[in-house]
Formats: sequence, structure tokens, C-alpha cells
Amino acid sequence: MASARTARIGVDVGGTFTDFVLHDPARNLVATGKRLTTPDDPSRAIVEGVERLLQETGLAPGDLHSIVHGTTLVTNTIIERTGACVGLLTTAGFRDVIEIGRETRYDLYDLFIEAPPTLVPRHRRIEVPERLDVDGTVLLPLDENTVREAGRRLVEQEGVEAIAIAFLHAYRDDRHERRAAEILRASFPDLPLSLSCRVAPEIREFERTSTACANAYVQPLMRRYLEKLEASLAALGFAGQLHVMLSGGGIAALAEAKEFPIRLIESGPAAGAMAASFLARLAGLDRVVSFDMGGTTAKMCLVENAAPDRKFDFEAGRVRRFQKGSGLPLKVSVVDMIEIGAGGGSIARVDAGSGLMKVGPRSAGAKPGPICYGRGGTEPTVTDSDLVLGRLDPGYFLGGEMALDPGAVRRAIETGIASRLGVAHDDAALGIRRIVDETMAGATRMHLAEKGRDPRRYTLVAFGGAGPVHAYDLARLLKMKRMLVPLGAGVASALGFLVAPPATDLVRSHVARLERLDWAHVNRLLAEMAEEGRALLLQAGAAPDAIRTVPAADMRHVGQGFEIPVPLPAMALGTDDLPAIREAFFASYRERFGRAMEGLPIEALTWRVACVAPGRDISLEGASARAMESHTDAARAARGKREVLFEGAGWLPCTVYDRYALAPGASFAGPALVEERESTCVIGPGATVTVDNYRNLVIELP
Amino acid sequence: MGQPLPSIRVTEPTQSRERIALDDFDPITLEVYWSRMISIADEAAAGLLRTAFSTIVRESNDYATVLMDRNGDSVAENTGGIASFSCILPQTTKTFLKRFPAETWQPGDCVITNDPWLATGHLPDFTAVSPIFHRGRLVGFAGSIAHSPDVGGALWSADCRELFEEGIRILPARLFRGGTRNEELVEIITANVRVPGPVMGDLEAQVVANEVAVRRLQEFLDDTGLEDLQGLSAALQDRADRALRRAIAEVPDGSYSAVIEADGFDEQVTRIACRVDVRADTMHIDFAGTSPQVDRGINCVLNYTHAYAVYPVKCALDPFTPRNEGSYRAITVSAPDGSILNPRFPAPCSARQLTGHLLAGVIYKALADVLPDKVIAECGGAPTMRALFSGLDRNGDRFSQVLFASGGMGASPHRDGLPTTAFPTNVGAGSIEAYESVAPLLVWRKQLRPDSGGAGRFRGGLGQEVEIEVRTDAPVRLSLLSDRRDHPAEGLLGGRHGGAAVIAIDDGTRPHPKSRTTVAAGRKVTLLYAGGGGFGDPKERDPAALEADLRDGYVTPKGAARDYGRG
Repeated sequence: MASARTARIGVDVGGTFTDFVLHDPARNLVATGKRLTTPDDPSRAIVEGVERLLQETGLAPGDLHSIVHGTTLVTNTIIERTGACVGLLTTAGFRDVIEIGRETRYDLYDLFIEAPPTLVPRHRRIEVPERLDVDGTVLLPLDENTVREAGRRLVEQEGVEAIAIAFLHAYRDDRHERRAAEILRASFPDLPLSLSCRVAPEIREFERTSTACANAYVQPLMRRYLEKLEASLAALGFAGQLHVMLSGGGIAALAEAKEFPIRLIESGPAAGAMAASFLARLAGLDRVVSFDMGGTTAKMCLVENAAPDRKFDFEAGRVRRFQKGSGLPLKVSVVDMIEIGAGGGSIARVDAGSGLMKVGPRSAGAKPGPICYGRGGTEPTVTDSDLVLGRLDPGYFLGGEMALDPGAVRRAIETGIASRLGVAHDDAALGIRRIVDETMAGATRMHLAEKGRDPRRYTLVAFGGAGPVHAYDLARLLKMKRMLVPLGAGVASALGFLVAPPATDLVRSHVARLERLDWAHVNRLLAEMAEEGRALLLQAGAAPDAIRTVPAADMRHVGQGFEIPVPLPAMALGTDDLPAIREAFFASYRERFGRAMEGLPIEALTWRVACVAPGRDISLEGASARAMESHTDAARAARGKREVLFEGAGWLPCTVYDRYALAPGASFAGPALVEERESTCVIGPGATVTVDNYRNLVIELP
Repeated sequence: MGQPLPSIRVTEPTQSRERIALDDFDPITLEVYWSRMISIADEAAAGLLRTAFSTIVRESNDYATVLMDRNGDSVAENTGGIASFSCILPQTTKTFLKRFPAETWQPGDCVITNDPWLATGHLPDFTAVSPIFHRGRLVGFAGSIAHSPDVGGALWSADCRELFEEGIRILPARLFRGGTRNEELVEIITANVRVPGPVMGDLEAQVVANEVAVRRLQEFLDDTGLEDLQGLSAALQDRADRALRRAIAEVPDGSYSAVIEADGFDEQVTRIACRVDVRADTMHIDFAGTSPQVDRGINCVLNYTHAYAVYPVKCALDPFTPRNEGSYRAITVSAPDGSILNPRFPAPCSARQLTGHLLAGVIYKALADVLPDKVIAECGGAPTMRALFSGLDRNGDRFSQVLFASGGMGASPHRDGLPTTAFPTNVGAGSIEAYESVAPLLVWRKQLRPDSGGAGRFRGGLGQEVEIEVRTDAPVRLSLLSDRRDHPAEGLLGGRHGGAAVIAIDDGTRPHPKSRTTVAAGRKVTLLYAGGGGFGDPKERDPAALEADLRDGYVTPKGAARDYGRG
């Protein structure tokens, strides 16, 4: 029976579409599917899609080993402010922590900026007399009556559906938060509670409180949704495991998602980074920049040694999507990627003030979309420029499902851009591409520079509908020597769900100078985190002896404002480890900043344990076993020529290759275009291309 | 000695610029290159911000990085940081060029100064400038400004009588010559500051930031094949200049005047008189009639006056065009010699922000009738209020801790003012948990201050209320730098003023708002941060907005009755 349950399905619930990918190693099967997302009840599209995929592959629900699921539900709920009615209990004197925030303006020049609205309005934030100091000593005992009364008022008068509790220094000692929770539970056993000491036990009250509130805000909805999904899949006959993708790129059991739904905030984008990591591992690349460009945004992520970089804070629900500081800070583990407003739909315009051309961040989105879609778009977009530059085939967009109209685009670029700038049409069209590519290159350079990395030593892995179209120029601007484009740009991301390992990140703050640390306490924290992590991973299906724990600490010189993550030598530490820990700090410091200041004292603030079990290797052989005949002689995969305008080289005739007809081992040289259903890979003059064993295009730049 | 300076500050186009055909760069290339220049400055800033020790740099964003051409004209500046600094740095570089002519610079040099008149108006800021060479030729400069952890003298004070009490002053000198550190200069600095390690650490962070910019600019020139920056610089300046002129041209010609007052020092109330003359596409801002300089540290040198006069104009008229030397060419600024906005050496000026931050308010007041849609009411956080506690903790370790917190922003013609947000500066607040982890101070309250937002059609942003207990065995020193006790933030076009600032100790005393005083162990200090001014007549406030304010307690029933006549 166990042997029959071999198929796995990855499901990505996006804003518009829900994507599916099924993989069954026993049957050598890879299949994909797409359905419109059903926003009123997203589980409906999932169940229907799974059913349909099973039909198409001839599998039964009982053949499914597991379903791994990612969703934008959490992030959209916060963006659209459609979450629960939440109450908040705070330490007396601190109910405005989430409103006062960091006290900065995210735009230095705009006098009229809006602050991101808080998730809990002031009248639902109740102060409770209680106070601990920085060592966890009780200065003022918890006023239990106030807690009881607050609960009653919030539930009965305000109608709250969830309560968050965030007291000062609860990261150090959680007794008051836990006692307050007990009191509330006694009266309201079913009310979801988010305790800051559980959701984000880190120093800094604004970020911790904000995270607890956000968790409470999405919890009722996510709980209902996940329970419904479980029940519907069970009704279908599914008896395997249902997992979710966490923002940090690990998969987890449903229980973790129900208790800490905020950890799913970047669930979808994490999958793309995990897919890139998997591709990097297969291709033997240990330094990769993953590049995922879609309709509205481009996302870049550093992937080293087949694992994406992660960070431990995130900003959700921004007032201005691409403006740092305009959202709500969250302390969650996420894949560290930059997202910028550069996509196929990004709109080009002439700025009235400077008289220069700008591209994005405004996007034409799917509606009305680029001009060439012929659905009412009137402003030229990146996709429009790609079309008139010859990069896209008007007759083979989405595999020919949508005919594009280059004539309308040319007219719009001429009147909207070229004539206003006083340049030729082709220069204007090329300008759109140059500006969007430069924006992406600038953001990538900055992202890598902050980590002390030099892009020249990295390989670009490109996917997403527009990724392969722009990858060559991006790689060139970043002076990268090589890029890799997987087969099925639109599906690549969903692969991430199937290859991601069970993993979770634990955190506790304990602040002290290294030489004054209470090591017994630190070791207790590390052990506690390891145990909690193990329990979560076992639920997520990890084998007990395969779980690894990786300790780290956020450290800085005393007096500095930024901590850097530093790997720790062991899970049990003592004074003897100090030289090694210091050296690890200096090494991390040097790596980031190019120098170290060894005379100055060091302090640790926050301790982390990453728990991870091995991910799955999946074979992509199934994907290549398409019905279509393929060739190692690239010439036989050629299906014509098309002129493409390259910067500095003019219009060059390019051979157009059919991606599905290129077999492993095929090779050819640029300028060339490789077309597949969801994307086109543009290869400039001088580059050479080989198709590897996994049917990736491996492109060496001149 | 102090340099004789003109009383009119004009960013003039540098003479002898090669005749550049602006058409050398098409508008697309220019856009691409412009964003490259900005990201070079940003990359330098990232390095500076992350390695700096100074709490002021990271919490109040008190820093800037600027990329300049070989004349010292700014080409691009970093996106965050202090807007006004970027305006000053090129001026400082030009004075460096007078002292060290172009042909004397070598790769690996770095010149520094903290002279208030040559640079940013008070001693704690160090300016560091490094040359950029490309193919053996000087093509430009990379510069940075950062607030130093210490410059000796009377740390954090507004009450000194002369500049000499305020710390060590370094006139332009080479910290590095051809890559070699000037150890004599280092010794002079380290011998005069309390925390030499972090002070030198930050100066080196500035050098590193400059080096990042130097390297990136060289790569850029290699990539593009440009010989130098002059042509690009001229073209970018021209774009920025044109954008601001275009915006000024839309303002009706005329002279617009206003006067505001602030607490100043004791009986010497600060009076700022301002006249804005708009003619075609140019603007002149004159401060004739402003109070004379005082023998306390709130004098504001002309560099700083200029920067804090042009910045609010840019915000109101042309907020989104990137900045460079051209951005402020259409605006001239003047202030009477010997006034508090143009003091003579050696006037004390450590707390010059207490005066400089007021300029946005008076300029907006002057322009309110002619630009009612584009300006905001006075801000409670202008100037900032700072409280620094220092002393010994119970382990006998020395501590020195600033509380960063802001008053409320003035209301705008479009919405209520932001609570607890500073303008024209952009100071961030730290975490109270982190604050308590480094000093023997306990914060019992940090919350919004009801009724502190000035009433109006749009309400001023609320200030806040902070209560701090001193948990030491011995008395501690409290340095205060504040204003707005007697002069709350004014409302605009019928809006009322915001709540005034209050500082009180629980022994019943009220310390001088610009003083260094002693607080006994176990005492609690309460700081009430000022609210922002309101905009428009309170009678025109949307009743639903008032009810919402009452429900959330931003306005109390008593306040509603008093300010809005709600029965």
C-alpha cells in the first residue's frame, strides 16, 4: 500500500491563478495544471484542480503521498486589510507602540505620505498594569482583573475574533503573557490568541507586537480555510499528508500553519527561490542569483550552495508596494529576496519634471495589460517594447493562444514616448528595455553589495514569463559570465513545492556582551529551540535521524545599530568557545564590510536555530519525456529567423529555436531566440548555448 | 579662523565649465546613467550606515553620501539620510579645492573637516571627501558626512558661550595621503575625544563609503567609455535645474512674508522673519529682520540656513525629481550678517538644529496664501527635542543614552498630520526594550498625547508622552535640547496650534529646556513632545472624523468641546 502512494502535488494559490504540478517518481510522471483562483473559498479551486489532475494522469486520490501548498492568502489579507477584528493587550503605557512605530518618513520629500494603517485601531488596544525589566524581574505584577475585564470588553462589546498579547520584555520572560492567555482562555476557550513570546520572541517591542497582531489578524481566516481544505481533500479520498510552504522555504505541517499563519506571508515567492536552489544543485552551481520576472514585479535572490539566503524580518501591506518603510514590519523567517516594480506590464512614461523616460513601478497588470494584448491598454509597457524589438513573436505568444498587435504598440511608442523625447521610435522602444534592465541590475547590485558579494562570480538562473526575455541583458549589465534557463519558465516556480525540505527557524532573544554571557541560559535556549523544531519537523514528515540543527546568533559591536548573523560552532557552548565565536563574528563582518575592528567589544542579541531535514530530489526526466521529438542537432530545432534589435549592435537576424525540440547536448550560438509556451529566451550575439541533461539552457556570455 | 563668507548663498554654476553640448546624452541614456549615479551614492551610504557606531547616524539618519564632479558640483546623492547635508557637502568640497588645488590631489587621499562654517553647522559632524581618479586624471569626488560619537568639549549642549567649549575643531586636513593614514592628525583627534575607538571607527567607515563610490564610479566610466563626469554632470544638473524652475514658474510672482517665533534662549526669543520673492522661474528667500546671534549654542550658520531653506521648497514644489547641484540653482538665500541665521565666528552653534529646523515652518507660512495645496502647518517635531542621560550604572559602568522620539507633524491640506514624526529632519525612534538594555533607565510610558494635535479642518499630528525613571545609585546628568515650551507649533489658514512641549521631574521641578542638569537617583522625568499645528478652520472638520478621533482617544471630550465646540 505504501508503495502505491508515490505521487506528490504542489499547489500555488496566487491572486489570479492557482497552479499545480504533479510528480510521481514511480510512474515517471510530471504534469501541470492551472485554474482560476476562487477568492471566496480558495480551497474550491484546489480541490477541483487536484481532481482534474488526477483524472488527466489516471491516478486515484489514494495514490497521492502528499500535497504541498503555498498561498498568497496571508499576504493579500494584510494588503487588502480584510482580516479579523483583533484586540490587543499591552503593557500599561505602551498601547501605541504599533502606531508610533519607527517615527520615520519613508519618503523624504513627499509632504503628504500616509502611514500604514495599524491592524488594531486604538480603541481595541487595552493596557494592562504589569511590568518586567530587561532581566525578566517583575517590577509590577500582572493585574489579572484588568485582563479578565479587557477580554470581556473586547469580545462582548467590540466583537473581536482574535486577541494578540504583547508585553514589554516578553522575549526575556513570558510569564505574564502566558498567564494573561490562561485567563482569557478560561472565559473564551475557542478564541485564537497570538502571544508575542510565541510568535516572535525577539527584542524590540514594535516589531514583536506588530508580528503578534498580524498573526492574530490572519489566524481566524487561515484556520477556517485550512480546516475546510483538509475536509474537502479528505472527502475526495485523499489520505496522504497535507503540508504548507513557509516563507523561509521550508515545508511544514498544517498545525504550524494554523498556530503561526503569519509564517506563510511569503509562501508563494519562497517556492520560486527553492526551485532555483534545486536547479542550481542539479547543475552543480554553488553561486547563483535567481531571477524571477513576471507581469508586475521582478524578484532576485541570492542562492549559495543550493540554499537561498534568508532573513528574519519582512515588511507587509505597504502603502507603496515598492517603498521600504511604508509597511508593517514582521519578525518572520523569509527567503531574502528583493522585489521591485519591474515586470512585463511595467508602464513607460515621460516624466514631466525632468523630461526623462521612466519605466514602472506602475503596471498595466493583467487588465488592461500591455497594448499588444488588445484589451484596452494604451500606455506602452515592457512587454510591448519586447514585441516591437523582435524579442517576442506576435504569432506565438502563450504558444499562439494570443495574437499580439505590434502596429498599435508602434503608434503608442511613437506618440507617447519617441516624439516627446525627440528620439527615433526604435531608440524609444530600446530605451524601455534599457531602463527596466538597468533598474533590475541596480537593485541586484545593491542587494549583493549589502552582503559583500560580487555579481561577476554568480550565475543567473532566470524564470517567470519575462525572466528569460530579459536575463541576457541583465546578466550582461551585472557582468555575469553565465546564465541558466530551465525548461518551462512558468512551471519552474511550482517545482519548488516538491523539492523544498521540511524546515523551520526558531528564535529567542538574550542580550549580553560575549564575555558576560550566561552560557547555561544560552544552552537552555538552544536546546529548547532544537526540541521545538524537531517536533515541528516530525509533524512535517521528516525522519527523526535526518534532522539537522544549525545554531546562529545576531551579533554586533557594542554601540552599533545593526546586527549581523553569525554561525555558531556548536549547540552547546561555553567560555572555551569564545575565541571561535569571536573569530566567526569577525569573519562574517569582514565578508560583509571588507574589514573588522578587532579591539572593540561584541554583544549578542538574538539566538537562532534552523532545523532542517533533507529535501527531495526529483527527477525531471518525466518533464523531458514529452511527446515531441527532440534533437541534439540544434539546426533541426530551428524554425526560422527573426530580426531583433540589440543595444549597440542594431537589428540582427536571429535563429528561432523550438525549445521542446532541443535535446540534451544540443548547442548553438547567439544571436538566437528560444521559444517555449510561456516565455522566450533571448540570447545576444557572441553568447554560446548548450542544452544540459535536464534540458536547461546553459548560456555562456562573451 | 572663521572664513569671511558672503551673506547670500547661491549655488552658482561653476565657471570655466567646458562647453558641453547637452544633447550628448539622449533622454534615455541620461535616465539610465542618472539611476547609476544614484545607486553608487546609495551603495556608499549602505556601507556607511551599517558600519557606523554613532547612534545618531543610525537612529536619526544623520548622514549623507554624495557623488561630485571634478569641480565639486554634486552629481547625485543618496536616497535616505539628511536631505540638507547633501546640499552642503558640495560647498565644503569647493572650499577643500581652494585649500588643496585640484592638481595636488592623489588617489587614496581623504580630506576631512568638522568646521561649522565650512561644513554642516556644528562640530559633531565630520565631512570626509576622497578624490576619484580615472586613467590618471582627477574626475570627481566622493564625499560623506556622519555625526561622530564624540568631538570632545561639552557633549550635547545648547548652553555653551563660545564655539571653543563645544569640542575640537579640525580645519580641512588630510586624514589619508596617497593611502597612508596621517597618524599625527589621528593622534590629535583621539587625544581630544571620550571614545576614540568608535570615533576613528566611524571616520574609517566614511573613508570606506567613499572608496565604494570611487570604485563604482571608475567601473561606470569603464563601462560607458566616458572620459570623465563633466558632460554627464552638466546634463544632469540641467535636468534638475529645469524641473525646479518649471515648478517655481507656476507660483505667481510676488513677495510673500511671514514671521514666526520660538523659545530661543531665556529672554532671547528667536524671531525669524522671512520674505520669499518669486520672479519668473527664480526664488529668493531673505531672512532680514531675524534675531541677532546669541551667546548660546543655537546659532545657525549660513550653510545650514541655506540647506534648511531650500529643502522645504523642494518638498513643496518638486518632490520627485532626483537631486543634484542643479536642484537648488534657481533659489538664492540670504540672512543678515551677525544674525542667528548667519552668525559670526566663534559663535556657539552645537544645537543649531533648534533654529534651523524652524525655517520650513516660516517659509510655508509665507507661501500658504499662494500655495494652499502644497504646504503643511508647523511641526511639533521642528525642532527636535532631545534628552541625554549620562552617568554611572549600578556596576559602576559609564553610560550615555539619548532618547529618540518626535513630536507630531503639522496637518496638511489633504490629511491629518502624522503622529510622532519629525519634519524637516527624519529622526527614527529606537526600541524601548533596547534602550533599557543598555542604560539603567526604565520607561514607564511612551504613548500618544491626546489633544496635542492642533485643531483644524485637518488635525495636527499628536505628540507623545514619555516617562523615564532613573535606576541608579547616584545622581545622573540630564542634557536637554528642546524648544516649543512657550511657542507651540502654529496652525495654518485657520488651524490652531498644537500642544506645547513640557519637561518635568517628579520632585516638582521643571528643568531648563536647554540645559545640563542633575537628576537624583530614583526620580522620574516626564517629557511631553509637542503636537503639530492644525490646517484650516476647525469648524470645517468632518464630524465623522471628529467622532472617530473621540472613539480612539486622539481627542478627549473636553478637547472636542474646547477646540471644536462639540457640545
